[in-house]
Amino acid sequence: MKSTANLFGSKLSRRKALAYGAATALSTPFISRAWAAPTEINMLAWYGHGEPDIVAEFEAANNVKFKPKYYAGGDNMLGLIAQSPPGTYDVILSDGEFVQQLNAAGYIEELNAADYPFDDMLYEDFTKFPGHWKDGKLYSMMVRFGHLGVSYNKNAITAEEAMSYSCFWKPEVKGKVGHFDWHLPSLGMMSLYNGNGAGLWDLSDGKWDAVQETTLSLRPQVGGYFDYGGTFNSLKNGEMQAMCGIGDWITGVLEKDGAPVGSVVPKEGGIQWTESYCIGKGTDKADIVKKFIQYMLSADGQVKSAQMAAYPGFAITKSGRAKLIDVDRAEAERTGQIDGMANDPITLVKEGRIHYRNIPVQQTLEDWNDFWSEYKNA
Amino acid sequence: MSEATSTTAASSAARQSSVFKLTFRLPIIIWQSLFFIGPLCFMVAMSFFIVRNYRMQEDFVMKNWLKMLGRDYFWDSYVLTWGLAGIGTVVTMLVAFPAAYTLAFKASEAVRRWAIFMLIIPFFTSYLVRIFSWYVILAESGVINAGLSYLGLGPFVMLNTKFGTVVGYMTLTLPLVIILQTFALANIDRSLVEAAFNLGCRPFRTIYRVILPMARTGLIIAAVFCFILSFGDFVSPYYLGGSKPPTLPILIVDTVKSGQQWPRAAVVAVVMMVTLFVVAFAGIMAAYRRRVG
Amino acid sequence: MSDNRPLRWFLYGYLALVFTFIFAPILFSVIFSFNSDRFPTIPLGSFTLKWYQTVWNDPDVWEAARTSLTVSLSTATIATLLGFATAYTDYRYSFRLKPVYLGLVLLPPTIPLIIMALAMLAWFAKLGISGQVMSIIIAHSVLTAPFAMAIIRLRLSQMDPSLESAAWNLGASQWSALRRVIVPFCLPAIISSFCLTAAVSFDEFAISWFVSGLNKTIPVIILEIVTGNIDPQVNAIGSFVFLVSMTLVIIAQVVLMTRRKKEV
Repeated sequence: MKSTANLFGSKLSRRKALAYGAATALSTPFISRAWAAPTEINMLAWYGHGEPDIVAEFEAANNVKFKPKYYAGGDNMLGLIAQSPPGTYDVILSDGEFVQQLNAAGYIEELNAADYPFDDMLYEDFTKFPGHWKDGKLYSMMVRFGHLGVSYNKNAITAEEAMSYSCFWKPEVKGKVGHFDWHLPSLGMMSLYNGNGAGLWDLSDGKWDAVQETTLSLRPQVGGYFDYGGTFNSLKNGEMQAMCGIGDWITGVLEKDGAPVGSVVPKEGGIQWTESYCIGKGTDKADIVKKFIQYMLSADGQVKSAQMAAYPGFAITKSGRAKLIDVDRAEAERTGQIDGMANDPITLVKEGRIHYRNIPVQQTLEDWNDFWSEYKNA
Repeated sequence: MSEATSTTAASSAARQSSVFKLTFRLPIIIWQSLFFIGPLCFMVAMSFFIVRNYRMQEDFVMKNWLKMLGRDYFWDSYVLTWGLAGIGTVVTMLVAFPAAYTLAFKASEAVRRWAIFMLIIPFFTSYLVRIFSWYVILAESGVINAGLSYLGLGPFVMLNTKFGTVVGYMTLTLPLVIILQTFALANIDRSLVEAAFNLGCRPFRTIYRVILPMARTGLIIAAVFCFILSFGDFVSPYYLGGSKPPTLPILIVDTVKSGQQWPRAAVVAVVMMVTLFVVAFAGIMAAYRRRVG
Repeated sequence: MSDNRPLRWFLYGYLALVFTFIFAPILFSVIFSFNSDRFPTIPLGSFTLKWYQTVWNDPDVWEAARTSLTVSLSTATIATLLGFATAYTDYRYSFRLKPVYLGLVLLPPTIPLIIMALAMLAWFAKLGISGQVMSIIIAHSVLTAPFAMAIIRLRLSQMDPSLESAAWNLGASQWSALRRVIVPFCLPAIISSFCLTAAVSFDEFAISWFVSGLNKTIPVIILEIVTGNIDPQVNAIGSFVFLVSMTLVIIAQVVLMTRRKKEV
């Protein structure tokens, strides 16, 4: 039994030392933070919006501190709000299509339209984005957008093949097609592939069945379902060679990092993601949040959003675009954010090749979500 | 001393003694009832609640149970989780055994002490960080395939496969299982093992006939722990298995995340819990069953 | 036991392989924390300290570190107190419902974390105490008290039962016998259970992730980076924590060895 006693002894003193170490570690870094007591702003957003590259400057200028809670997918966002006490979140970054639901549930405050630069918007349609206005009142302010289509590894799929969602079924990429793990964008693409065009969200029972069938036929090709980080990594390391449900917001970051990946809007059409800021109902920090939204819509804020480390988004204001061209022409060119370029995202929208992401019209989100679980298990 | 005072003294001593007794007995009862039994019971109740507009409302409906248990994908997940955790346990136990055997019987005391010490180290590193590391090692462009390509082999697909999941499970369980097995083996009376050898028993036969039966309790406990940990882990099947298809823990996370279906997640959780109780109970019965003959 | 040299070498080689498997992820995590590429792949980029700098300068990480320390030290205190009381009860008394009592105490580790997380979150939300640091502490105490109990109980079983009664016979009250005899004897186990429960709590992410709300601990930050904007900061945080604990471990070993020599 001697050995056991010794084991015990050595374990013990090691742990004792750990406790000493903890005590010393305690004393160093917090001294510097003790004097500053900035106002805390609770933010609910997609990953990255509360990171230093976006908010640090604003925090320093206004003595505030963002406390972000990140979600993935609109259903997830609604759930998080529903389970928290009212007033928990001061500022909410919502996907455009979920603003209506936020509003219907009474989770967000009315905004004053005069506070925001509507005359600076690049595209008329964005000034009255669906669901952002209700009875002439503004509830949410769009800040950025992006396009979803075929994301692919250029070594495995040619640019021509990528012009149709059919490339996901290509035998060479069997087991190498990944899904971003959220039902809306992926099923939306399947609906587009089925030729539903502008009616992609408004599916009769028959068409919904057909979309399910198409989706299930892709199952043998699928190599995995990924969250944000997994999507990044598996595209980067070649584990996945085509990805359904995403767009430049992910491949853009990788491209800048030198990976042979890209995203295109295929001939069947692409989907637009739209991100909008809302002020949480019951917050006592509405003024500073308003100031923050204004900041994100300023030329500086728009450039930050376009260069966001987590994922880039297109500028929506003229001044933002101008400043982006000014300070980072390469990025503006890469993403087509220069008037007259063929892949100018605004042009794509105007040509009708892009459809705003929406929630299912004839089915419930739950139906879609249910099918998604089924699909993953198929 | 009169009789009366001694009675009072005795009763006050008894009272004191029972105060003393309850001071030690009660806290954990209160604490665990409030924060362990409470939540679990509430979770069972929750499986009968409904969700409206992403908000949970207290109710008593069978809908969630019917819905979840009526779905093929639930049962597929169930079988899959059993299978993966089962394979993980068998593999881990087999991989661990020669190591534990070496440590218990062949290694010197100093080596054993250092080895156990090394096996505790992983507990001080983040499991998530280690899984993330495997991600890089196992990737097609990763360390292993890079090494194999020098030998003209590969690349092998290891991520997003069941193999990846099992590697992840082992990352979690292997150190613990080796430690438990080593203790189980070290407690065996060595003279019996030596006697078996001296009587001409071959090594494998000795292991099978002498060592395994004597270490049974410890080995079964190691296996039960290994199974429970694997069965409930959502990180490995998600990050290394590509959640393809999802195991029950992933199903719980998914169900909570999308659509806020806590009650349905509770159904999955209750099924898992019952399963694990049965497994643990069976394991304990097997571990402490009196040996016959 | 018959000494079989080839077998012995084979077994040692096998042992080395197993340890390689266990330590490979830790080793590579450290390597990639110094690698300049944002996405860790082979071949390696150049040597850099930038991930450490990023982490060091990130106030969120420090805030999380403070939360983590608060949580793990509070958890360790509560769990050790509960564990001690329970272990002592088990050691000293026998009563009718003892198996139930012990079951109540020892069951939590058999429930998967994800289930505990879900149940705790729902329960705390019901009680109106969700999303606070306190919720994590409570949840972790439930989780770790059994470990504390096991460690202290093990120590108690090594004690000569006559010691305590001898103290009573010499006129010590139950309380003072406890203070003078039991606690000193258990002290090593108490300290060790304090450290173990602190360590378990420090690395637990599933429950923390569910119940923490906006209060992030270090493991929750790691989980967020892994599920979110994956980058080698994860490795930097991991390696740093690892380095600190390893340094302490080695110092502890050295201290222990010198003390042993003195005792001899």
